[in-house]
Amino acid sequence: MGRESDWDREDKNKISRDKDSTEADRDEAGKNGEAGDKDEAERNKAARDEVRKKYGIRAGLCAFLLLFLWMIASDAYKMLPGFYENVIRVGVFSDSYWKVQNGYSYRILEDAIAEFEKQHPGIRVEYVSGIIREDYSEWLSEQMMRGTAPDIFFVPGEHFNDFAEAGVLMDLTPLIEGDGEFSPDRYYTSAYAYGNYEGVQYALPYECAPKLMFVNKSILEQEGIDMPGNQWTWEDFYRICREVTKDTDENGTIDQFGTVGYTWEDAFDSNGVTLFDEKGTECYLTDERAKAGISFIGKLEDLNGGYSISSKEFALGNVAFQPMLFSEYRAYKSYPLSIKKYSGFEWDCLTMPAGPEGRNISRLDTLTLAMNKSTIHKQEAWELMKLLTGDEKIQSEIFKYSEGVSVLRAVVESEENQGFLTGNPDAGNAPGLFLLSDAVEQAVVTARFHDYDRAVGEADRAVRSILEGSSNINMETIIQNRKVNRYLKEMQ
Amino acid sequence: MNRKGFPDFVLSTMKNLNMVMILYLTMVTVHSLYGYMDGNSAMDFLIQVKQMPMEPWKLPVLSIGLYVCLLLLLSIHCQSKRSFLVKTVLELGIVFAISYMLNFSYTGMALLIIADTMRYFSDLKRRVLLVASICVFYILLDYDLLSAVCPIISTETCWGYYGRETQSLLLGIRNILNSLNTMVFISYAIVLILTEVREKERILGLNEKLNTANQELRSANEKLEEYARESEKAAETRERNRLAREIHDTLGHSLTGIITGIDACVMLVDVAPEATKEQLKAIAGVARQGIKDVRRSVKALRPDALESLNLKAALVQMMEEAKRSTGVEITWQIEPALKGFNKDEEDIIYRIVQESITNAIRHGRADKVQVWIDRDFNMLNIHVKDNGAGCVNVQKGFGLHHMEERLNMLKGSLSYHGDHGFVIDASIPIRWGTEEEND
Repeated sequence: MGRESDWDREDKNKISRDKDSTEADRDEAGKNGEAGDKDEAERNKAARDEVRKKYGIRAGLCAFLLLFLWMIASDAYKMLPGFYENVIRVGVFSDSYWKVQNGYSYRILEDAIAEFEKQHPGIRVEYVSGIIREDYSEWLSEQMMRGTAPDIFFVPGEHFNDFAEAGVLMDLTPLIEGDGEFSPDRYYTSAYAYGNYEGVQYALPYECAPKLMFVNKSILEQEGIDMPGNQWTWEDFYRICREVTKDTDENGTIDQFGTVGYTWEDAFDSNGVTLFDEKGTECYLTDERAKAGISFIGKLEDLNGGYSISSKEFALGNVAFQPMLFSEYRAYKSYPLSIKKYSGFEWDCLTMPAGPEGRNISRLDTLTLAMNKSTIHKQEAWELMKLLTGDEKIQSEIFKYSEGVSVLRAVVESEENQGFLTGNPDAGNAPGLFLLSDAVEQAVVTARFHDYDRAVGEADRAVRSILEGSSNINMETIIQNRKVNRYLKEMQ
Repeated sequence: MNRKGFPDFVLSTMKNLNMVMILYLTMVTVHSLYGYMDGNSAMDFLIQVKQMPMEPWKLPVLSIGLYVCLLLLLSIHCQSKRSFLVKTVLELGIVFAISYMLNFSYTGMALLIIADTMRYFSDLKRRVLLVASICVFYILLDYDLLSAVCPIISTETCWGYYGRETQSLLLGIRNILNSLNTMVFISYAIVLILTEVREKERILGLNEKLNTANQELRSANEKLEEYARESEKAAETRERNRLAREIHDTLGHSLTGIITGIDACVMLVDVAPEATKEQLKAIAGVARQGIKDVRRSVKALRPDALESLNLKAALVQMMEEAKRSTGVEITWQIEPALKGFNKDEEDIIYRIVQESITNAIRHGRADKVQVWIDRDFNMLNIHVKDNGAGCVNVQKGFGLHHMEERLNMLKGSLSYHGDHGFVIDASIPIRWGTEEEND
């Protein structure tokens, strides 16, 4: 109770300070005995009430202001009439993700929008046209910083991590779990995993492109070599390369080669090597499988006798094998797939050769679709995302208007699309398309941390050094691995 | 008010300084962020900071808004302990939010809370406890510390849009403002402490004054008591004197008259027995009057004549009796009405006349006595003259002495001389308000 008195005193002090003017009156009133005391008490009470009222007003004002600020901070004001817009905005770039101008810029999106607006009357879907692929990420970042980012937007693979790390992407897990219709199984596992960052699903795949091994069938036939099966290995690959590498016109220089563009990364992917950890803090060059890959690349290069070949040689028909993104092929060549002519030679495509400890898998590049974390149309945006990535009709348009592969297994394997791609509705089970489907399904999704490209560049330098190094490979990998690790640490 | 004024001034300076600081930091940040956006380096910025900064226009709006909230809260003086706690927690929350907006590059608002809280309690222990806990909060509001726990964009990165030199300059200005705020806070604390020390000294001084005054009061009280005792004693003495005077005046007068009358009877008894009889009757009257006087003196110590008659009548009766009992020829002339005097004055006037006549008969052996009483402005003059022996060197007897004493009481004066017979002149000032008696 003694504690309270302190407060009471404060209280009285405050009141007397505030009511100085009436002090004299009160004193006089006090002289009139008991009546005066009563009077004084009443005055005191009135004064206290007045002070309380004054503070009450201030506290109320403060609460009101805080509410107002909260509405600004949380974007809740956007739900108020006058600010609210029943519009979903989509972030998209004008040219193809696969770096080609194909004239169909917004075709698929517009079809999806028409479908969506039909299904959801009253909601309008908008997109800003004219942003080219090259400027897209910068444009998107700028819109995000300004707070005017679209509700859903395409995320280029190389910047997915950056956006996920910056926390601008909506965690889709609750939406996925809350949606009975949605099934991740319909997507290719690898493509779906592309939208995952540190265990959280931030995006849905939209279209993808696997790496495939393109084979010059003419050379193989000419050399009397059988087409390898889809389960072929490094050994097969090396054997064929060794056999085809020769000087055909006997002018003293090698003019027919085994492979071009087969990199140590391809070797690593197909030998089950994980080069970096998730966060990009450590490099695993010293892994036995990695060492095997490096040795394999070394062996392949030795075949060429120091002659460095460009990918032009494949187009000219001088190289037996070249790994290529499916989209690259689509970009260069028009349909249908069945016309397997490449400037005068016949070709086919295969999976990547499997390493001794890996499988016939390769890398997948995927364009994903993500949701803005601060969207106010969460559910509608989710519906649109589902439509764009999961609707078979929309997805099958990818084959028509883009160069990638649909991310839906059912679409890729559907008879209609196989017919379309092969140009022959009857060629139902063309092996090329199951190969494509398999390649996508099996593809690896590498760790994608910030500055992954720079880390890879450093690893490339390291692999070069190892290959060119004179001492034994074990020592070299240890030294180079240490260098890469140091580099990674500096990069952090 | 003046005492409170200076700390209040320092506090408001601090509040203004914080406002300037918040405006400065948010405006520079906003400018820098727009610079990134317009300079096509938004992506680079995002990659660098690895998180999304708030929409630029919100920064100043929210931080200034929150600051206004803080000022509002600071201006509320809580009436109870609970509301005070709620208020402090809210304030700390707001400071945290503002610091967050400022990327924890400035957290000096917490000092405002400390400054405000510091003057809240008179209880030192509780104040220290509360201020210490806010200090801990303030210390923990550190960019480096917090950025280890959760991602925060550093101001340096935010302002990276400016070149290195400009950035250094801008950061320098921030640091100056920060130091200024700290210095103002320190001076506030010093001023507050000084004010309190001065207040305490003032209270101590007042206490001391009170003690001195108390002491003085006590000694004055003692003196007063002593004085009271003395004055009691003096009153006793005075009363004794008065009794002596009364006895002398009444008994003395009567007895003198009786003696003189009896002496005359002794001489007359043979010559004129009838006259002697008359004389004896008069003497008996005097004696009776004397005994009455004594009784009255004992009872009220007041001339009886005055009890029943007014002053003039009492004087006339007294003189008539003296004439009759002593056979001395007494003539008198009393001009004023002699009304409006209070009892003391009446007593004294009566006694002076009586005493003068007694003296004239007893000491001067006069056979003629003249009494004049007149008024001269504010003075009542009593003039008694006899044709008796008089005396050249007047020895003040009991009678004269008392006469003087009595007159002094009324601030009057007495003069006498004994060249030809004996003359007594007494003057008594008439007090204000007795003038109407003129008619």
